[in-house]
Amino acid sequence: MDLERERGITIKSNTVTLLYDAKDGERYQLNLIDTPGHVDFSHEVRRSLMSCEGALILVDASQGVEAQTVANLYLAMEYNLELLPVINKVDLSAADVDRVREEIDADLGLDPFEAIPVSAKLGRGIDDLLEAVVTKLPPPIGDPRAPLQALIFDAQYDPYRGVVLIVRVKEGKVAKGHTIRLMHSKKEYEVEEVGRLQLKRVKSNELTAGAVGYVIANIKAVRDIAIGDTVTDVAHAASSPLPGYKEAKPVVFSSIYPMSTHDYGDLAKALDKLTLNDPALTYEKDSSVALGHGFRCGFLGLLHLDVIQERLQREYGLSLLLSAPSVRYSITLETGETISVESPSLYPESNTIARTQEPYIKASVMMPERYLGAVMELCRDRRGENSTFHYLSVGRVELLSELPLAEVLFDFYDRLKTITQGYGSFEYEMLDYRETKILKVDILVNGERVDALSQLVHEDKARVRALHYCERLAGTIPRQQFKIAIQGVVGAKIIARTTINAYRKDVTAKCYGGDITRKRKLLEKQREGKKRMKVVGSVEIPQSAFVAVLKNDEK
Amino acid sequence: MKSRPGLYVHVPFCSAICPYCDFAVLPGNAARAKRYAVRILDELAGISDDFGTFDTLYFGGGTPSFLDPEHLGRLVDELGAKSRLTADCRIYLEANPEDVDAHSVVAWRDLGVDTLSLGVQALDDESLSCLGRSHTADEARNAVGLARDAGFNCVSFDLLYGFETQSTADWRETLLRAVALEPDHLSCYELTTHEGTPFGRKKREGRLRDVASDNQGDLFRLTHQLLADQGLEGYEVSNFARSPQYQSRQNEKYWSHAPYLGLGPSAHSFAGHRRWWNIRTFFDWEKRLQRGESPIADRECLDAEALLLEWLMLRFRTRRGLNLSETRARYGVDLEKNNLELVDDLLANGLVTLEPPWLRPTLDGLAVADSLALAFDLTRERYGA
Repeated sequence: MDLERERGITIKSNTVTLLYDAKDGERYQLNLIDTPGHVDFSHEVRRSLMSCEGALILVDASQGVEAQTVANLYLAMEYNLELLPVINKVDLSAADVDRVREEIDADLGLDPFEAIPVSAKLGRGIDDLLEAVVTKLPPPIGDPRAPLQALIFDAQYDPYRGVVLIVRVKEGKVAKGHTIRLMHSKKEYEVEEVGRLQLKRVKSNELTAGAVGYVIANIKAVRDIAIGDTVTDVAHAASSPLPGYKEAKPVVFSSIYPMSTHDYGDLAKALDKLTLNDPALTYEKDSSVALGHGFRCGFLGLLHLDVIQERLQREYGLSLLLSAPSVRYSITLETGETISVESPSLYPESNTIARTQEPYIKASVMMPERYLGAVMELCRDRRGENSTFHYLSVGRVELLSELPLAEVLFDFYDRLKTITQGYGSFEYEMLDYRETKILKVDILVNGERVDALSQLVHEDKARVRALHYCERLAGTIPRQQFKIAIQGVVGAKIIARTTINAYRKDVTAKCYGGDITRKRKLLEKQREGKKRMKVVGSVEIPQSAFVAVLKNDEK
Repeated sequence: MKSRPGLYVHVPFCSAICPYCDFAVLPGNAARAKRYAVRILDELAGISDDFGTFDTLYFGGGTPSFLDPEHLGRLVDELGAKSRLTADCRIYLEANPEDVDAHSVVAWRDLGVDTLSLGVQALDDESLSCLGRSHTADEARNAVGLARDAGFNCVSFDLLYGFETQSTADWRETLLRAVALEPDHLSCYELTTHEGTPFGRKKREGRLRDVASDNQGDLFRLTHQLLADQGLEGYEVSNFARSPQYQSRQNEKYWSHAPYLGLGPSAHSFAGHRRWWNIRTFFDWEKRLQRGESPIADRECLDAEALLLEWLMLRFRTRRGLNLSETRARYGVDLEKNNLELVDDLLANGLVTLEPPWLRPTLDGLAVADSLALAFDLTRERYGA
């Protein structure tokens, strides 16, 4: 993906099988799985780790150990993988291999002298690395005669072949013509083709225990399967699936609307296609009076949301508007019933609510110690609880704080980067749900509610957020014939307000013979522009106003 | 409400080109004026559209006073001889103060000119030089006096406001001086800076600024209020008359989609749902006529929606406003019914008044006439169908 190259991140895991002639004279088959590092994709990391015997922990020679390095290290340790530290990008002028070795020792607790310096870009150190893989990481175990157990750790969608399962065969074997069963979804398919991934698909006769490869079995859509599911052979079935199957659940929600209503169908198609490859993305129909039809989408985190948005825009050429991201609240009603609410439009009347809980995360921020004060301040401002810190290596600290996820959705990461001048790294894991007090803030334009701008906000933040929205709107809605009142309200109570004064004059001085055509054409052009505006009450709100308000660049 | 057609004659010559002007003009001389006088008759002779009899004849420009009264007279005579002018046809002539003298006013009176419209623009020398005008304030005053004495039915003059060096107090003073000259009709135009003019160039280079929109609004209201207090009621965005009889019959044709024929370079014509316009430059216009070709540059056929949009935009420029029944009859649209909520809003905000069948802009409404026109839903549901 271009997006991955641009941002220097991995979004989709990639797999490749390579043959390596080791110094001991043997030819080894190495299966490499490249995984994303970001927390949003930890489900993907987990599935990949489950398929492996060992892991290379890559540390950037100039950046050093980052918060997500540590998080992924812990994950790998959960799966009892053999770990091999690798210092990459040693060709960079800013590379400081000695310092990174210290960090590998202090922050990761791994043997710094085992770490292999490489430059993937220049191919430097690669032989040492491959040799280490052969000598230090354990070979796969598994019995080719045992009942088939293959872990689906990824899937791709091929428009001609349907779903291509990427599997790690733990036990047994799979070959063309076999009838396989997906043990969790209980669906059965006939295998059409198996093979290895060597940059492209290379057909082979069978995949046996220890192998990583692909299986094509006439499966129509990725949603028909579950990543993490176990494949077995109907004729020679395993008694139980492999452990560790967990569904990736969305935690961040946002409504996506096409800028132009004509694009609704294209947006639906694009989302459908994206979910073929990314079942973690969820979507259902949504509509807004102001923005028309769209989709309420669920994401694994903010980066996931960002990536989906960018892919929709770049790969599908869609121009989109996203509502303010929200978390999923757990609301217990007076009736005793507990419901999940992640959309302001479904928020119940406040007098029917007994209590509300919101999701908390455990945030880890690693940074040079000079930024500690400022970052603790940021966490406090974001309702952080139980903040603690400890020293890693000399001059580096890790701050742990329990934060409401909702507080991280609003420019937390950007603020952190600014405060720490880019040196802070951030990682989080979901923690639990905690008691909270949430208000539904509505934005009214001349007394009419703009539904797309409603949001669920903690009571301490309601006024600030409402005022921010009001001011943004006031700055972007053009002046009109009459005065426009913009208010932020909670129920009937006004908590923020701004006004846009009516403009005083717009009529052109002269309008005679010749000018009429010219003038009309000007009006017709303006009229076209107005058609693209959303009318709330009798106020025309240009799309740019929604964009400006929903742009998540300030709290 | 079928009104008679009007005739507009564009005289493109000026002795000096004003730095804000974007009309089709060029420096004139005696030879060009003479050639023009010949070709304008050619053009009239070649008009095939049957406009019938005109009840207005408007010499505009440019500077019609640049032409010899004899040349103007030939055109008037020709029209008269072909019975193209009604008995009560109003003849308008635009003149620059420097062209007005005891002889010329008599000559124009003899031609049958009813309304002499003087390009006064300002009544202090500083503003006049700022606007690049070649006459002085005294010359302007003198011209108005001569016109009065010559006994035209209506003496009108133009003023400009909203240029950078003019303060609100300056403009108020200009208006009071204008009123003291007792015009029957006054046109007060806010200065518009056009691309391609010397002022436009100055603006692009940052040496000239437009007056801020709120300030424009203040000047606009001041103009209408002061003049109304002085007995010159604003009947359109930029036009004021001592009494309804002095309101421009010619302009009303533009504002009510009445038919009109335009002669001369760049002149526009309109009939029913068709509009066409002549080639812009004098030389091209002349060449075409010389070869016996039509000087029409382009034409358009207005569809129902375009007509309706124009109608709204034009009617909201007038204090008389929009006649809802007439709108229904002419354009088949029940504007009020389709825009109930909007009309309520406009009423509540004091932008219009509703005295069926009239929907009239208030002064505040007049100031935002362009967006009033745009605010309406023009969906054409045939009334009663």
